[in-house]
Amino acid sequence: MKKTMIFILLAIGMAFAVPDAGLALPPQRIVSLAPSTTEILFAMGLGDRIVGVTNYCDYPEEAKKKPKIGGMSNPSLEAVVALKPDVVVMTTDGNPKEFEALLRSLHIRTVVFTARRISELPMGIRDLGAALQVRDSAERLAAGIEQGLQRLGAASRLAPDASRQKVLYIVWPEPLIVAGPGTAIDDAITLLGRKNIASAAASEYPKYSLEEVLREAPDIILIGKGSGMDMVEVSRGMLKRLTSVPAVRNNNICYLGDGLYRLGPRVVQGIEELAQCLEQRSRR
Amino acid sequence: MSRAKITALILLAFMIFLCALFLGPRTINPAALTDVEREILFKIRLPRVLVAFLMGMALGASGAVLQGVLRNPLADPYILGISSGASLTAALGIIGGLSFLGAFTVPVLAFVGAVATGGIVGVMGWKRGGLWPERLLLAGVGLSFLFSALLMVLMSVSTDEGLRRAMLWIFGDLSLSDWQRVPYGAVLVFAGLAVSVTRAKALNALILGDELAHSLGFAPRRERFVLFVSVGLLTAASVSLGGMIGFIGLLLPHIMRFFIGSDSRMLVPASALGGGSLLCIADLVSRSVLPPMELPAGVVTAIIGAPYFLYLLRRKDVLSF
Repeated sequence: MKKTMIFILLAIGMAFAVPDAGLALPPQRIVSLAPSTTEILFAMGLGDRIVGVTNYCDYPEEAKKKPKIGGMSNPSLEAVVALKPDVVVMTTDGNPKEFEALLRSLHIRTVVFTARRISELPMGIRDLGAALQVRDSAERLAAGIEQGLQRLGAASRLAPDASRQKVLYIVWPEPLIVAGPGTAIDDAITLLGRKNIASAAASEYPKYSLEEVLREAPDIILIGKGSGMDMVEVSRGMLKRLTSVPAVRNNNICYLGDGLYRLGPRVVQGIEELAQCLEQRSRR
Repeated sequence: MSRAKITALILLAFMIFLCALFLGPRTINPAALTDVEREILFKIRLPRVLVAFLMGMALGASGAVLQGVLRNPLADPYILGISSGASLTAALGIIGGLSFLGAFTVPVLAFVGAVATGGIVGVMGWKRGGLWPERLLLAGVGLSFLFSALLMVLMSVSTDEGLRRAMLWIFGDLSLSDWQRVPYGAVLVFAGLAVSVTRAKALNALILGDELAHSLGFAPRRERFVLFVSVGLLTAASVSLGGMIGFIGLLLPHIMRFFIGSDSRMLVPASALGGGSLLCIADLVSRSVLPPMELPAGVVTAIIGAPYFLYLLRRKDVLSF
């Protein structure tokens, strides 16, 4: 008797259980909580299905026109819920963990993009593609990135003297914040066979000692793009204090774009830009 | 007796200054300087240690003066809202990426913010021809709530990157200290110190109360105004030199009271020397614990200072004031 009851209850439960929407048909309404995942989603051809992005998602151009849901570290739960997403794409690099728990408690499906290093990017894209049921375009994108990385790595191995060049990537000059270990920038510098003098620092983007820059005497200084600011102007004061460093003395300074700040489809382009700079400066 | 103590304090401060100069993530031996070390010493460490010392002096002295002027042992230079005003204008400059005055943009913005806030507090605290301690305190606390809230608004709309830079500045950043900052810092700090020290007798009288001060031959309202202006200058100078550094202004004068007593003529210069020394030590620690990374010096002052203060508090019988 009891068994029958349980069986009936189970049967009723089964009948009412909606098949998991995410698994049955590809998600049609996607919210992206990071500029990097927004770029990846667009590159996988999912632009039309994106219904919400962060305030900082500015690439590609269409991303700017999507409804905004707030910042990366402080997205608005209400704004996300109001967009009725089938799935919310998040990253471990910038989004709060608690936010994922909040979304799940509201029965909103989440996909977390966990890649943080360049080497993890192709796999991350494939996983994301699998979760969003766009395996083919994800595979194409990932394979393209892999080829690009291989090509750039091989080219750098041919460059003479590369391994002796010391490089410093400055994210912001005053206070001095540089790209340290565990960043895509550090990966890119290593891939190109150079040595990042900040690779032994204690955090990813450490506030760095100016003294140490003088001691380590980098041969090339790279300066990243700040949000809409003239980095040549902003860096002037700091560079003046580093006049004896070979990079400054020989004017081996490159101002770069933001390709390496986002672990996304433009990473290869970012490394290419970096490689170009390093090559030109080494030839002098 | 107190002359001996002051001499000892000066010697100690000088030794700490030298330690901060030659020790660090890597020790520099002044007898055998390499080219790089010479450059580090003169272009980076010397201005940095000087700025740290000036800033600490300003905070220590203005804390000691303000506790007397407001007759409140919990007063510190930041309670008047001066620091939150300065943080707000500095954060505007940092997050907005302003650079109209080159390297001086943020220090000047901070100074303007500090002076403007001090001015507002002064106006609010003015009644019947003089400044009133309670009014000053409440106006300062009220204004700092307002400015902190505006700062939060600014920070929550800024990018993560701008936010981090603003935070680093607010927690006290001495890494920007170069020679350009030393002269104006020195002029402002020594001017403020000179006023405070020469008015120290009047400050002693003010602590006793306006009536007693009056009967001792001081004009309490005028003295309070002069001292208030000098504190404002000192605090504005310190904030513009390197952001906000906690602990020194509030608790260092109390530590000094344990050693040399409450006479402002001794307490103000002693607090200045102690503040300068403590900030030099804190900065030394902040750049040495996780090299080549630097921690905010403002965090370190409290981590070093607060346990010591609590230890003194347990040992001594009275918290004299």
